Amino acid sequence: MVITFPHMGKVYISVKALFDDLRVRTVIPPPISKKTLEIGTKLSPEMACLPLKINMGNYIEAIKEGADTIVLTGSCGPCRFGYYGVVEKDILKDLGYDIEVVILDAPKTGHLNFINNIKKISGYSSIPDLAKAFRAAYKVTLEVDKLIDLLLYKRARETRVGEADRCLASFERMARQVHGSSQILDLTEQFMERASNIREERGFKPLTIGLVGEIYTLIEPYVNLNIESKLGRLGVEVHRGITLTDWIKTHLSLDMKYRQERKTMLAKAEPYLNLCIGGHAWETIASTIDFYEKGLDGIIQVLPFGCMPEIVAESIMPTIGTDLQIPIMTLSVDELTGEAGYMTRLEAFVDLLKQKKGKVI
Amino acid sequence: MKIGIPRALLYPIFYPMWETFFKELGHSIVNSTRTNKRILDSGAKACVEDACLPVKIMHGHVIDLIDRCDAVFIPRLISISQEEYICPKFIGIPEMIKNSVKPCPSLIVLDYNAKKSTNMAYKGYYKLASDLGSSKKDIKQALERALGQQRAYERALLGGSNPLLALEGLETFSIRKEIKGTIGLIGHPYLIYDRYISMDVYKKLISHDYRVIVPENIRPEAIEKACSIYPKKLFWSYGKHLLGSGLYMLEQGLVDGLVLVTSFACGIDSFVLELLQRKNNRDYKKPLTIITIDEHSGHAGFDTRLEAFIDMMEWRKENGNNISSHGKGLYIS
Ligand code: SF4
Ligand code: SF4
Repeated sequence: MVITFPHMGKVYISVKALFDDLRVRTVIPPPISKKTLEIGTKLSPEMACLPLKINMGNYIEAIKEGADTIVLTGSCGPCRFGYYGVVEKDILKDLGYDIEVVILDAPKTGHLNFINNIKKISGYSSIPDLAKAFRAAYKVTLEVDKLIDLLLYKRARETRVGEADRCLASFERMARQVHGSSQILDLTEQFMERASNIREERGFKPLTIGLVGEIYTLIEPYVNLNIESKLGRLGVEVHRGITLTDWIKTHLSLDMKYRQERKTMLAKAEPYLNLCIGGHAWETIASTIDFYEKGLDGIIQVLPFGCMPEIVAESIMPTIGTDLQIPIMTLSVDELTGEAGYMTRLEAFVDLLKQKKGKVI
Repeated sequence: MKIGIPRALLYPIFYPMWETFFKELGHSIVNSTRTNKRILDSGAKACVEDACLPVKIMHGHVIDLIDRCDAVFIPRLISISQEEYICPKFIGIPEMIKNSVKPCPSLIVLDYNAKKSTNMAYKGYYKLASDLGSSKKDIKQALERALGQQRAYERALLGGSNPLLALEGLETFSIRKEIKGTIGLIGHPYLIYDRYISMDVYKKLISHDYRVIVPENIRPEAIEKACSIYPKKLFWSYGKHLLGSGLYMLEQGLVDGLVLVTSFACGIDSFVLELLQRKNNRDYKKPLTIITIDEHSGHAGFDTRLEAFIDMMEWRKENGNNISSHGKGLYIS
């Protein structure tokens, strides 16, 4: 059995650590490229959401490198993500691929199934081994997110433009090569060190922008056209509305303190939206308000074209913008989004924030 | 009180329930005008651009009711069946309207959530009506009568009727000549039962002398069973409804061909209609066409597509099931 899984930002680092520890062979799909997207777009329904298209591309590229089992997580609605696995399986079947698709549904929708599936893909490891591996992978996620956050801070302030990006790129290159959680953790530590040494422009006070929106688009740089890097290079400190760590805490852990915090956080959306409509629309609204309270200068919402829950959030955003007097921009991306137009919009938004701030001071 | 009811989204399915309920409680009802260009344009203008057509049209219907009633009724159908949803946009529709229709008329929002049980869902009706000042006893009675009407309507649908016949009258849709065959017309109620949006597809098919059956004619149990071939329960009620009824029609040989109608940017259809088409291509190979509608769709392209499909049906009838080895070329999709 050789396992592969879809890309979503740095997820692969944690997943690889997990399977390495369980001594299960994996193929990490090649980094998402134009080719990946082309393959995916060709094979997927035209109106499917962008993440599904990229998943398909990831699978085909990973199968070429020897993967025979696909693992992905599911959920039970209301959004499409929960049915990705079934549609993807159907498409692969018609293409004639003899491949197993294991959908890991959140435990509450069928404990037995979840445990059986985990056992199946873990090569029947013992429960203590499993628990240990999961804990380690979680630790990896935490540390990698810390590294990303540090780089977000540095990128806005670096004296030599591009240094933070180079640091991240070499970290990712090496992360693919090391083996198991302990090596990855060591590596992360080294890069934390390297990142903290990035020289900052003294006394520079960057603009601050909060990113909110659909989780995949937020987390996967290929899809958001590397928005974090683009904004950072424009001298903006980026704050992330959702991280992989948040996702794991929400869906896989029983961290009660976090759940309580999350509740308080979501309650902030109350005047505008007070129930879950699927995806991360509720978080989008809540984080927007949270970022406002934290004094950020502006908000950018990103979503893949046609994303159902984010469209609801998108209709609420202008009202929040007016009520709270905070600039908000929505960017919807699809396979045709061009680099140039995108950049222009980001620059225009940053200029707007600069002007606004200039007036205030 | 004068309550405005938009003829949009699931109105064709639930109007007996809603209208009876309000009438029984002593309110009067105004319906929005049937969908037309003005409604579509005003809705599209107010609503966020990325939304699907039916949601934009819903905005248009609300705008149409401004100044014509005391408040507009907006059902928030979170879930109409256990462990299922309809679509994220159905949950967020009141928020979309509140934030996009300016100035927004006052809204009466029904929160209907049968995710745990139908009885729980009725609470929404109690809440809504007691906010409007009705007593518990009156609400109970109104609800019972409304449910009675709704059930009778649903029985009629399962018996072969459909919302168009009920809403627009039977004569318009009768077949004059000999029936050439049966076509399954699959699509969300707000598409296929809206004569403007669907460019009258139902009537057009009938005027070609085909009998037309629709998802509303298929029993829920049959739909459920047909969908059980997939490894995971479908959690969208209408998604399941469309996919399952289509599968059932194919499986039982009830139809000679399928016409699928979908809205551009419909997230649910992008999945379920895909599964339906794949299954058909694999196992049944019936003529199938999929018609995607958006606000710029013109009648010309639509008619051409439908004609091509009818030609295919007729060709297949004459040539039996001799499918060329390049079967694919025969399907319009
Ligand atoms: S949240 Fe958006 S991108 Fe994710 S599955 Fe739903 S529609 Fe697709
Ligand atoms: S089911 Fe499709 S057409 Fe209906 S509201 Fe949702 S996205 Fe729009």
